[in-house]
Amino acid sequence: MFAWFRTDIIVEYWPLFLQGLQTTVLLTLIGVCVGTVLGLLLGLGKIAQVEHGPWRWPVTLLIRLPSQIYITFVRGTPLFVQILLIHFAVVPLLIHPENGLLISGETAQYLKREHGAFISGALALSLNAAAYIAEIFRAGIQSVDRGQFEAARSLGLSYFHTMKSVIIPQASRRMLPPLGNEAITLLKDSSLVSAIGLAELAYAARTAAGTYARYWEPYLFISFIYLLITLAMSYGVHRLERKYQNT
Amino acid sequence: MMRLILISILSISLFASCTKRTEEEPSKATEAQKSQNAELVVGTDAAYAPFESETSDKSIVGFDIEILKAIGEKSGLKLRFVNTPWEGLFNQLESGDRDILISAITINDERKKVMDFSEPYFEAVQLIVVPLSSKISKFSELKGKKIGVQTGTTGDEVASGLLGKTSDDIKRFEGTPLALQELSARGVDAVIADNGVINNFMANNKSDFKTISDPTFKKEFYGIAVKKGNTELIKKINEGLAAIKADGTYDSIFKKYFGDK
Repeated sequence: MFAWFRTDIIVEYWPLFLQGLQTTVLLTLIGVCVGTVLGLLLGLGKIAQVEHGPWRWPVTLLIRLPSQIYITFVRGTPLFVQILLIHFAVVPLLIHPENGLLISGETAQYLKREHGAFISGALALSLNAAAYIAEIFRAGIQSVDRGQFEAARSLGLSYFHTMKSVIIPQASRRMLPPLGNEAITLLKDSSLVSAIGLAELAYAARTAAGTYARYWEPYLFISFIYLLITLAMSYGVHRLERKYQNT
Repeated sequence: MMRLILISILSISLFASCTKRTEEEPSKATEAQKSQNAELVVGTDAAYAPFESETSDKSIVGFDIEILKAIGEKSGLKLRFVNTPWEGLFNQLESGDRDILISAITINDERKKVMDFSEPYFEAVQLIVVPLSSKISKFSELKGKKIGVQTGTTGDEVASGLLGKTSDDIKRFEGTPLALQELSARGVDAVIADNGVINNFMANNKSDFKTISDPTFKKEFYGIAVKKGNTELIKKINEGLAAIKADGTYDSIFKKYFGDK
C-alpha cells in the first residue's frame, strides 16, 4: 500500500533529520524558558504603575511605555520577518569579525561560523515568545481579584512580595493552558528558522526534497514528528493542570 | 415586505450573473480555438539576477526571460512568466501548473529523468566566493569550513560531494542572495554558486569579496525544461533557439547582460 513511499530517502537523510529534531527541541526549550523569564518581566512592566509620588513618571516612561511598545511591535509583525531581521541585520551588527559592536575579531568569527544561525534563531524565538507570554502573564495577573492585591499591600507586604507570594501563584494556575498553547505554537513556528540555514526539522526535509524533488516523503515524515511532539506536550500540560486542580 | 424585496433583488442578481456566465463561455471557447496555441505558463524563480529577477513593478526581467521571449517570438509561442520559488519548481512542471521552466536550470542526468530539456542556451561553471581576507585558494581547502549554498542547486551538489550530503558544515538557503548575505555576515566561509549570479554579485560588492574558480569543477549547461514527453513543445523551443542564435538576437542579449564573451 505504501510502496510509493520511498523510505530510502528518509534513511539516507536520517542523520540530518535526527540532528534537526535535536535542534528543533532545543530551540523550543530555549524559547519557552527565556521567553517565560522575559515575558514575566515584560508583563509586569506593561502593568507597572505608580499612582502618586516622584516615581510616577519615571516608571511610566522607562518601564511601562517601553514594555508596551515592545509587545505591540513583536505581536504586530510576522515571526518570519523578525527572524530575517535578527539574523541578517541585528546580529551581524552586534557580532561581526570586522566591525561588530558587541563582539568582534576571532570570537565573533567563531560564534558566527559555528553557532550563528542557532544564536539568531534562538534569539528570535525567545524575543517573540516573550511578547506573547507577557500578555499571558498580564491577563493572568489581572484576572486575580484586585482585592487580593489591596489586602496584601495593606498587610504591609511590598509590591514585589505581593506579586511573588500572592498574585503570581494564583495567576499561574490560570496561565497554564495558554502557556502550554504558546509552547506548542513555538515548536511549530520554529520551522521558520530554516530560512536562515539553521538545520532543524523543516530544513532537513527541505534538503531532502531539494535533492530528490520528492515532497511527500520528507514533509509527511516531519509532520508526524511535529505531531508526536505536540501531542506529548499537550498531554504534559493536561497532566500539570490536573495536578494543580487537585491541590 | 423588506424580505420580499431582498429576495427578489437577490434572485434577479443571481439570474443576471447566470446568464452573463453562459454568454461569456462560448466566446471564450472560440477565442481559444482561434489562437491555435493557448498561453503557456513559464515558471521561473525570479530571485536569481541577472538571469531572472523581479522589478519593483512586479515584472520579471533578466537574461533567461529575454532569451525565452525571443524564442517565443520566433516560434509563435504565447508566454506568461510566473515567479515560482525554486523549491517547488520541478514539482509544478510535473503537476502541470507550469508548461515551461527557465530558471538557470543546469541540465543533468537526474533531472533528465523527470523532465525534458532543450538544447543548452548558456554555459555555466561553479564559482567559489570568499571574503577578500580569506586564505582559501582552492576548492579542496573548503573541507572543515562552512559553505553556504542554495538548496538543491549544483552548488549544493558540489558541496555535498566534498563534505557529505548530511554534513552540518553545509548551510542551505532558499536563495543564493541569502547565502551571499550570510557570507557578508561571516556566518559561512564561502559560497558556491553559478558564475552568472556570482559575477553579478561581484560587480556590486567587488571591494569585500573575491572569487575562486577551480579547474575541477565541470562545465555545465543551462536548459529550458518542459514536462517529460512534450516533444512538440521542446522542438518549437529548439527551433526558436537556433533561430535567435543564427540571426544575432542571442548575442545581443548575451552582450547586454554579460558583456563580450
